[in-house]
Amino acid sequence: MIDQLALSQAFELLFNDLSPWLWVIPGLLIGLVFGSIPGLQISMAMAVFLPVTFGMDFLQAMLFLTAIFTGGAYGGGVTAILMNIPGSSSSIATAFDGYPMARKGQHNEALGIGLCASVVGAFVGYSLLMLLINPLAAFVLKIGPLEMVVVVLWGLTLIATLNESSMAKGLMAGFLGLMLSQIGMSTTGIMRTSIGNPYLIDGIPVVPAMIGIFAASELLRLRGGSYLVKDEAQRSISFSLILKGVGQTFRHPGVLLRGSLLGAIIGAIPGVGSSVANLVSYGEAKRTSKNPEAFGKGAPEGVVAAESANSSSEGGSMTALLALGIPGGAATAVLLAAFSFHNIIGGPSFIRNQTEIVYSIILGNLGQVVLLAVLGLLSLRLLGMVVRVPLSYLVPSVLAMCAWGGYGITGTIAGPLTVAAFAGLGWLMRQNNYPVAATVIGLLLGRMMEGEIVRTLQVSGGRPLEYMMERPIALVLFVIMLLVLIGAPALKAYRTRRANHEPS
Amino acid sequence: MATGKFSATHAFLLGFILSISSFITWSATQASTTLNNLIVIAPTAIVIGLLSVGIVVSILLKPASEPTADSKGEQSIWGDILLLAGFAAFCFALTTVGFDVATFIFIWVGVLMCGSKGKWQPPLYALLFTVFLVKGFGSLFPYPMTTLVL
Repeated sequence: MIDQLALSQAFELLFNDLSPWLWVIPGLLIGLVFGSIPGLQISMAMAVFLPVTFGMDFLQAMLFLTAIFTGGAYGGGVTAILMNIPGSSSSIATAFDGYPMARKGQHNEALGIGLCASVVGAFVGYSLLMLLINPLAAFVLKIGPLEMVVVVLWGLTLIATLNESSMAKGLMAGFLGLMLSQIGMSTTGIMRTSIGNPYLIDGIPVVPAMIGIFAASELLRLRGGSYLVKDEAQRSISFSLILKGVGQTFRHPGVLLRGSLLGAIIGAIPGVGSSVANLVSYGEAKRTSKNPEAFGKGAPEGVVAAESANSSSEGGSMTALLALGIPGGAATAVLLAAFSFHNIIGGPSFIRNQTEIVYSIILGNLGQVVLLAVLGLLSLRLLGMVVRVPLSYLVPSVLAMCAWGGYGITGTIAGPLTVAAFAGLGWLMRQNNYPVAATVIGLLLGRMMEGEIVRTLQVSGGRPLEYMMERPIALVLFVIMLLVLIGAPALKAYRTRRANHEPS
Repeated sequence: MATGKFSATHAFLLGFILSISSFITWSATQASTTLNNLIVIAPTAIVIGLLSVGIVVSILLKPASEPTADSKGEQSIWGDILLLAGFAAFCFALTTVGFDVATFIFIWVGVLMCGSKGKWQPPLYALLFTVFLVKGFGSLFPYPMTTLVL
C-alpha cells in the first residue's frame, strides 16, 4: 500500500532543511483567525494569501495553504462552542452541544474536547489518505448522483432527531429550511421566485442565513443577562480543565473513531464533504448513545462526534484533489490554483510519477496536526476570555460582527440583510421551541439534494429504482442507512422490552 | 379541561411558514410544472401543510400549561424585538450611511439597550470597536466598503 522508497524520499524532502515548515505556524495562525471570525471563511483566507505562495517552492506553498485549511477548520469550532456561531457549514453540529456546554460553565472542557477531537480526526483522516489514496480515488470515481442522494438523505435524517420534545416541530423546522432552499433559480435553470429581490436569484446565501439564525437570534435572547456563564466561579479560563476536556475525549473512543472514519469517507465525496460529514457523525453518535436525551443540552459526545468528523473530512477532501485533480470544495479549489501555478496537475499520473511529493504533503499535514495541538492549547486561553466579557458589551459587538460577516461573504447588502431576516426568524423559532439547526440543515442540503435527484432521474431515464440495482455502492449505502435508521432502534426497543419482561 | 392557547409569536411563526411555503409553491408551479422543478417543493409543501394541521390540533387539545419560571415576560419580549429592529436598521444602514458611522451608533445604542449603566464607557467602547472593525476586519474584506469618516 505504501511505496517505501517514496516515503523515505518524502522524509528527506521534509526534514533535510526546515524551509517547508517555516510557513506552517503562520498558516495555522491565519487559519485560526479567519476561522474564528464570523464571515471570514477558510477559502477566503486561502485565496487572499495565495499570491504569497508564488515565491515559494511547491511543497512550501502546499504546507502553508493546508495549514490555513487546518487552522481554519478548528477556529470555526471555537466560535461554535463559545458564541454559537459555526465558522462554516462544517461546524454546525459542533454548536449543538458545544455551546450548551459553554453556557453551563464547561467552556474549558468543551474547548479541550473540540481541540482533541479535531487533532485525532485530522490525524486519522490524513493517515487513511496515506494508506488508501489509490483505493479511495477509485471509490470517488464510482460516486455518482444517486450515491450523493443517499448520503445527503442520511444527513437530512438528523432533522427528525433534533427536537426530543416535539418531533413535529423538528420536522416543521427542517422542511421550512428545505422550502427556503428552493428560492431562486432551480438547478435546471427554471426561474422560481426571488421574492422580488435580484440578490436572491441564486437562492438564499447559506452562510449569512446560518450566522443569523444560529448566532444573531441567540444573542437577541441573551440581552439583559450579565455574562455568558452566570456563575462567576465557573468563568475562569483553566488550563487544567482544558486538559481535562482533552482527556474526556478519549472516554468516547467509539464516537471518536466512528466520527473520524465517517468524516474521511464522506469528506472524499466531492461537493458533499464536510458539510454533511459532521451532521451524519453527530446523528449516528446520538442514535447509538446510551444517553441520547443529553444531546443538544451539552453532551461531550456530541462535540467529539462533530469535531472529529469535520477535521477528518479535510484529509478526505484531499483525496479527490491529489488523486483525481478534482477540487471537492472552495478550499481545495484554491489548492488546485496553487497546483497549476507550480505546473503540477493532480491525478493518477501525479500520484504515480511524484509519489514522494504526495507523501510529503500528507506527512506535512500530519506534522501540522501536532503543531495545531500545541498552538490550539496556547490560544484557547485567549479565545476563552469571551466568557468574561459582560453581555451588555458582547451582544452588540458580536451582532455587529455578524452583519459585517454577512457582507464579507456576499460583498453586497444582501449579506447583512439575510443575517437580520434570519435573526428574526431564529428568534421566533427559539421563542416557540423549534430547533433552528433543523432549518439550517434543510437550507444547506435542500438545493444539493434537488440537484442530485434531478441528475439521478436524468441518468436513470426516469427509473431510479432500477438504476439503483445497477449501482452497488448506492445500494450498500442505502441498506446501511436503513439498518442504522430503522434496524438499530428496532433492535434496541426489542431488547429493552425483553429486559423489562424478564423476571428479576 | 383547559385548552392551551396559541401565543401570538407562535401564531405569527406558523402564519409566516404557511404563507412563504404557499408563495414559493405557487411561484414554482407558475414557472414550470415539470417533475424536475417540483421534485422537492411539492412533497415539502404537502408535509408542511400536514405538520401545520398536526401542530395546531395538538396545541388546541393540550391542557394549558403553567407558565414556567424561565418563560420570558412581555417586557423582555418587546426588548428583544426592539433590539432586533435596531439590528435590522443597522444592517440596512451599513451601505447607505457607511460602515463606520452605522457601527459606531449601533454599538453605542446596543450597549445601552443591553443594560449598561455607564455614561462615557459605551461611546468610548463603540469608538474603539468601530476603529478595530474598520481597520482590522474590514481590511481583510475582498470587497470595497463604504465609510463616511474612517
